[in-house]
Amino acid sequence: MTATTVDGPIGAAVAEGTLPGRVWMYANYHCNIACTYCLTESGPRAEARVLGAQAMLDVARQAAELGFTDLGVTGGEIFLRPEMPELLAEMSTYLPVIALTNATLFARRLLDRIEVLAGLPVALQISLDRPDPDTNDAMRAPDNFAKVVAAIPELVTRGIAVRIATTVSSIDDVELDRLCALHRGLGVPDTDHVIRPIVARGRAVDHGLGVSAAVSDLPAELTITADGAFWSPFGPTVHGGLLDTDLLITRTTAPLAVPAQALLRLVEGQPRGADSTLGIR
Amino acid sequence: MVGGAGDLLIRPGQVPLLARPYYADGDPGPIVAALAQVPELLETAMPFLGAALGPSGIDWRTKEIVIVRTSALAGCRYCVQAHSVVALDAGLSHEEVRALRTDIAVADAFAEPRELALLEWVDVVAGTGPVPDDARAAVRRLWADHEVVELTTLVGATLLLNRFATALALPTGPDTAARLATEGLP
Repeated sequence: MTATTVDGPIGAAVAEGTLPGRVWMYANYHCNIACTYCLTESGPRAEARVLGAQAMLDVARQAAELGFTDLGVTGGEIFLRPEMPELLAEMSTYLPVIALTNATLFARRLLDRIEVLAGLPVALQISLDRPDPDTNDAMRAPDNFAKVVAAIPELVTRGIAVRIATTVSSIDDVELDRLCALHRGLGVPDTDHVIRPIVARGRAVDHGLGVSAAVSDLPAELTITADGAFWSPFGPTVHGGLLDTDLLITRTTAPLAVPAQALLRLVEGQPRGADSTLGIR
Repeated sequence: MVGGAGDLLIRPGQVPLLARPYYADGDPGPIVAALAQVPELLETAMPFLGAALGPSGIDWRTKEIVIVRTSALAGCRYCVQAHSVVALDAGLSHEEVRALRTDIAVADAFAEPRELALLEWVDVVAGTGPVPDDARAAVRRLWADHEVVELTTLVGATLLLNRFATALALPTGPDTAARLATEGLP
């Protein structure tokens, strides 16, 4: 597929708000840490399930051709893949990219390499859940807090766009105020801070954490993985080492029009306004 | 590592979105539960399989003759068992079903010329090697062209399912097993 089809049914659905504009990709499932609430049971020994670089570029290009407006890249920890800075830069030539990272791998060498993203439409969304090391690290990993608060200013200084994602079951006003003061001090404004609930999938289930999310609670953001296409980045979760298939759309991911059209059919079969009762975005 | 069909079948609570309509009335059976692993294949395959094996312009009895015979020749345990029950429901006698399953000679159970011609055709189509012109001519003498095409498609669709069910070791359902025991059929 080379011809642009922005005016086709997918582009029209995105333009009118029937379909969300962002296409997500799971770059990989392995991670250097193992968070308590991780949707994908990611960790150092998790199966990598890598979505190849060329496949990611193909998704990016075809997403633009179909009329999607944004890309998201998540994992696993995506910067375990050494080619990730340059890959994100190339993907951003098609559409703006938001890339999720735990920001614990930004030693000098990676910081130097990630400068390729400066000034590009690529934002790094970094997990920071609490304003204190002990409570933050209890759910994530030892020294996570320290590494994150060290990395963020380094990234901001280099001209990299940074967002903060806080994933919590609940947070009181005092703690939230302190967290917001922290991220502002690190150079990230309130407009780039998102708070989202823990979803009861993956490892969160084993720890009794999170809210149950039905398909109607999750925005229909097309999500591409090495195992197929899913409804929302909360879809391709792993529990007990097995990939969940309840939010699987198609195993076919290329051409992207196949899962995109299937997703649109599913969305159009839903009553309007039925999405996002949990505010998961 | 697994070898049987159990882990290949989509578990309750894991049904993909496009496959959910097929589960609306409960357990859809192992063919759907396996195809649900690839939802876009399921929703393409099932309309075809339904058109080929389900109600159509050709009567139910005739279609089950083709399905049971083809499945027996292909050695498909799952399909033979499942469709022996269906064939009985379609009005075939025990003797006829046993003949289709190759337990007894076809000539000892069937006498109607059209059905005998059809069975000869099925035996050729479901076998291996070339299909002789005289075999094709023989079935066309007693069956209309559109019927030959449809019944030949039915053999092919059944063979697809035969190999699918055999390769994936699809389990015979408990209701089918109980009915076969009641009928005295293995």
